[in-house]
Amino acid sequence: MAGQSDDADLAARCQAGDLDAFETIYRRHSARIYSLACRMAGSVDDGEDLLQEIFLQAYRKLGSFKGDAALGTWLYRLAVNHCLDFVRSKQAKMNKLTETLDAESSFEPTARRDTPIARLDLERAIERLPDGCREAFVLHDVEGFDHRQVGEQLGIAEGTSKSQVFKARARLRAMLKGR
Amino acid sequence: MHPTEDALNEYADETLGAAARPDVERHVVSCAECRRTVDGLREVRQAAAALEPREAPIRAWMRVERAIKLEREHAVPRTRRFAWTSLAAAAVLLLAVAGGVRMLITSPRTTPAVASRQTPPAGDAAPPANAAAQSVETELRQAEDHYEKAIKGLEAITRTEQGALDPKTAATLQKNLAVIDQAIGESRAALRVQPTSEPAQQSLLENFRSKIGLLQDTVSLINEMRKGNDAGAARIVSGLKQKGD
Repeated sequence: MAGQSDDADLAARCQAGDLDAFETIYRRHSARIYSLACRMAGSVDDGEDLLQEIFLQAYRKLGSFKGDAALGTWLYRLAVNHCLDFVRSKQAKMNKLTETLDAESSFEPTARRDTPIARLDLERAIERLPDGCREAFVLHDVEGFDHRQVGEQLGIAEGTSKSQVFKARARLRAMLKGR
Repeated sequence: MHPTEDALNEYADETLGAAARPDVERHVVSCAECRRTVDGLREVRQAAAALEPREAPIRAWMRVERAIKLEREHAVPRTRRFAWTSLAAAAVLLLAVAGGVRMLITSPRTTPAVASRQTPPAGDAAPPANAAAQSVETELRQAEDHYEKAIKGLEAITRTEQGALDPKTAATLQKNLAVIDQAIGESRAALRVQPTSEPAQQSLLENFRSKIGLLQDTVSLINEMRKGNDAGAARIVSGLKQKGD
């Protein structure tokens, strides 16, 4: 695991224009951020766009990295905020109800019902969750934030976070059938 | 009476208040339906917490790197910025096209729609064998459209600005473009014979990417020459020649 002095060194090299140093940062942290972005956006296409935007933003903002936290933590916060901005702007633009209903009706898990949930099935089912409950579910059940933190990040009440997460679980169980 | 869905969720999460917990616990022990619900909720939650990071596609770093390089190239003094509007537009176009073709570059067999066709529900008739192939062909056509639009935009810019290039460099560029166009033609011919051939699909897309890369290098070269950066321009020209060798 990279230490904080290593982080500070990498950040300094990036600011001096060393793209190899930035690639090192990317290689260390891109998987976690890509996963978060895909799941929050509900699409691997949007997730890849978000990944690019997040790392571009990180490149621009590295000057503000003071080394108080680990570089991974700093990047992760940046990523969560960027994903939340994306989710908010998407919600403002779209009403995905019809799309969601269609997607759910066409979902067919590949794993048998009496076997543990297959990772791929769960990833696909998360993508099909409606906007709103998907983000709450990802932040709570996947990323491990508590309902208070989820509420703060999404700008909703703690109780709303709970109901969104519970709604997401019910839908996932229905999609993954019999669970 | 069954506990509410919220109570079962909080029970499954072990966050249910001490006052309500004993009643719910007693009910869950004796009610098979609620026990199944609680088990299901726990299983979903455990599976979610155990999800592993997904590796980003290899091309994702190339997109980031290219975007950073473009941004650096266009970080010119404010007084000159206006003149580079078309080059900035090219950068935006490149990012847009890179996003537009991802659906195909990710193997089409892994897309949910196709994956679900691979495992039809028991008792269902198998789907027609050519259904997946048609879907792939449609996606390939869409990807081609995206690339062709981007190429058209970049070609328009390089055409307008080509006076900035010396004749020898312009000839090298034309030669390289002709080689790539020939490769695109060959990939298309292969796909006409075998529309579902993954190597042929990948080869076509790779050739499109090469063409976009070359046009982007041309835009960068024009940029460097306009800035009077002879060293930067020479580096790009040297790269162009190597690609054409």
